[in-house]
Amino acid sequence: MNCEVCQLKELEVESFEIREVLRCILHTIVFHRALGLIRPKDIDLELFEITYVQCGEIEVEKKIDEKIEQYISWIEKHPNKKNQICVSFYEVKSKQPSWFTNKIERSYWEQWYINLNVLQPSKSPIGKSHHAKLVMDPGEASEERNSRRTQLEQSLQEVLFQIIKFVNEKKDHVPPINDGVIYCPFEITTPSSSDSTFGMDMIKRMLHSGHPSMLG
Amino acid sequence: MSSSQNRSGSNSESAKAEQIIFEFFAKSLHIILESRTPFMSSRNFSGDQMVCSSSSSSSSSSSVRPRDKWFNLALRECPAALESFDIGRRSSLEPLVVNVVLVASPFATDQIGKRELIRNFSGGWSSDQDEMGCESKNEQIIERWIVQYDNRKVRESATTTSSRRSSSSNSKLQVMYKKATLLLRSLFVMVRLLPAYKIFRELNSSGQIFKFKLVPRVPSIVEPFTRREEAEMQRFAFTPVETLCGRLCLSVLYRSLSDVSCEHSTPMSPTFITDYVGSPLADPLKRFPSLPLSYGSPPLLPFQRRHSWSFDRYKASPPPSVSCSPSPTHSDLHGALVSNPCSRRLPPHPCDIPTGRRKECYVEECQDFSPPCSPSGAIHAVTRGITRTESAPVRIPAPSFQSKQNNVVAPSPNLKLSRHASLKPVRSSGVVESGGALEKFLYGREDFRRNSGVRLSSNSSPRISFSRSSSRSFQDDFDDNDFPCPFDVEDDDITDRSSRPGSYDQRGDIPEPTHEPSGSYPKKSQDAAVGALVSMLKKAPPLRQDVSITEVSWNNNNSNNNKPARGQEAAAASITASGLALASKTTADALEELRSYKEMKNVLLSQSAMDTSSVNTTTT
Repeated sequence: MNCEVCQLKELEVESFEIREVLRCILHTIVFHRALGLIRPKDIDLELFEITYVQCGEIEVEKKIDEKIEQYISWIEKHPNKKNQICVSFYEVKSKQPSWFTNKIERSYWEQWYINLNVLQPSKSPIGKSHHAKLVMDPGEASEERNSRRTQLEQSLQEVLFQIIKFVNEKKDHVPPINDGVIYCPFEITTPSSSDSTFGMDMIKRMLHSGHPSMLG
Repeated sequence: MSSSQNRSGSNSESAKAEQIIFEFFAKSLHIILESRTPFMSSRNFSGDQMVCSSSSSSSSSSSVRPRDKWFNLALRECPAALESFDIGRRSSLEPLVVNVVLVASPFATDQIGKRELIRNFSGGWSSDQDEMGCESKNEQIIERWIVQYDNRKVRESATTTSSRRSSSSNSKLQVMYKKATLLLRSLFVMVRLLPAYKIFRELNSSGQIFKFKLVPRVPSIVEPFTRREEAEMQRFAFTPVETLCGRLCLSVLYRSLSDVSCEHSTPMSPTFITDYVGSPLADPLKRFPSLPLSYGSPPLLPFQRRHSWSFDRYKASPPPSVSCSPSPTHSDLHGALVSNPCSRRLPPHPCDIPTGRRKECYVEECQDFSPPCSPSGAIHAVTRGITRTESAPVRIPAPSFQSKQNNVVAPSPNLKLSRHASLKPVRSSGVVESGGALEKFLYGREDFRRNSGVRLSSNSSPRISFSRSSSRSFQDDFDDNDFPCPFDVEDDDITDRSSRPGSYDQRGDIPEPTHEPSGSYPKKSQDAAVGALVSMLKKAPPLRQDVSITEVSWNNNNSNNNKPARGQEAAAASITASGLALASKTTADALEELRSYKEMKNVLLSQSAMDTSSVNTTTT
């Protein structure tokens, strides 16, 4: 099965924004792949004037929150890095059972890459001395913060549009709707889940290659 | 495949497809309307034009309705969606157009709020804006959704891979259904991302009154956009869904709204308040028809505010006086009161200016000054405050503010500081607190309550300003257990307000003796009682006249003329009724007066009996 991949636009976020941004993106993706009978739930972001939609399944919410927490705690240990979160949708196919293998195989049909550039919370512009920072007008600082926030809001909105466009353009690879299945099974891969040099290398390679088809 | 399809009741594939198409139309419409129809709330101006009822759209029942199963998407109930979508009449070949229109409320003659919002739209207001006289046309299409079934391009052998894979038409149907489901999912997300949703959210979430509303319309005749309009709008077309013999298309034209969040809510708030407090002044007239009410008389405000929510007021009542309405923020008022430069710039008293002019005047002022601390609003408030101190039973909590108060209230000669000075000492001396104290002084407790509410709502960031903490700080000042949250006032107005406005009215009318009636009535007296008393007092002839009439009739019981007898009755009634007011003049006094009149009358009578016929008696 062909695996469609969507690389989402990179977002520059501060660590305190990660949770909202990721929730918004992850839920929006999963909502588009929750093709069973759902009762959508509108969620207004607190940091941004954006409303996103959840599919209303508690397990999904739990799973997403869990992964986000994992990712955030990893980020705390590895600050100021560009990194990716991957959402992979798969179908479960059980292989022909043999003597030693009674495996359930995952067949991935779609992957979404969320690209985040996590900024240091108190990031001082390069070239500015400590003095210069002190001189800086607090109003100016807040203005800067506001403009950055506005920019992130716009970018986040763009990412959501990107999701919608992708969902619209690529429909054929989506497996048929099965009765009783609320959402397509998915997994969320964060850097933390492969917290090793090897894992990091893998992620870096994925970043550069853009279309990692090794999971497909 | 979804079971819903099996329930379509038709055996033929095309009938199934047709039903899917039909349901797709219905669902799309439902999704759009649901996210564009603000809940009908008492806080929204024109409830009659709301398509959706709040009760239904806000509550989501847990049970699954048959329609929910279509495309596996359970939506909140929105009857309007189905009403506008005339099931019987519409053919699926007809495109379905939904215009989402931003309509300025017809009574919003000043267009500040609208402008503030609209200027953020790339396209600006429509050309109708120029026609100020035709306010109903102050509207703008901010979104146009088009759902259509395009069967011109018949694509028999489907080009998509999945269609190629499955040859049976049943599986084609399944694919079509799946794609339609996907499309509706993204539509659902999309409607929440577009700028109009921010307005929808704003209209729903905040307790403010807006001068515009969001109205989704399903027009039967669609006026195409002009080229210019279309150029101003952005377009998003969802990828069409291939069906057995056509394509399901969904697209939206929308205006972009740049940065609504930081701009539009802030400057609008004061605008809303203008109407919020000021407009309604007519109801007291209905209640007490006998009272010559002066528009712009501040004591009436407590009455109106409650009614300012209702729509009919705007149709029925002559716009009373915007000038006395603008409710400044608390700090504004305080600033205006404390800083003399502001208070010196008092505008003419509302009553002196014709209504229309006043309105204009205020609008101009509003535009001149930056709203959040608009001096104009504060000035008006000062006017109101001063006028109010003349008549209303105010409490002066802070003797320490007397100097300031005197400055401020200088124009008002009737201020009675001494009467209230003993009431409550102010505990804190903070700036805000003192502002509160001043306000209390100027408005009286009840009115202050309102004004604090107003202040909260007119704050620049409504959501934060509604927080109870801000109201609580004032509450502490009062030491009153029953001091409610600003917006709770609405409810207890109904039971509580009766005594206050009644007494205000009396005051506005009858300058001196009315203190006593209002005082003698229990606090919880009914509107009716107060009203009756007021009208009785109003009708009651002066004491002297009464007595003379009575005198005459008593002495002419034998005469044929009935008029004096009637007069006597009326007079007697009025005397007893207005006994409260007359109580100060003792019965002894009255009797004495009566006696003297009697004597005079006797003399006159004897004279007339001697000179002429008894006809003369009637003329006396």
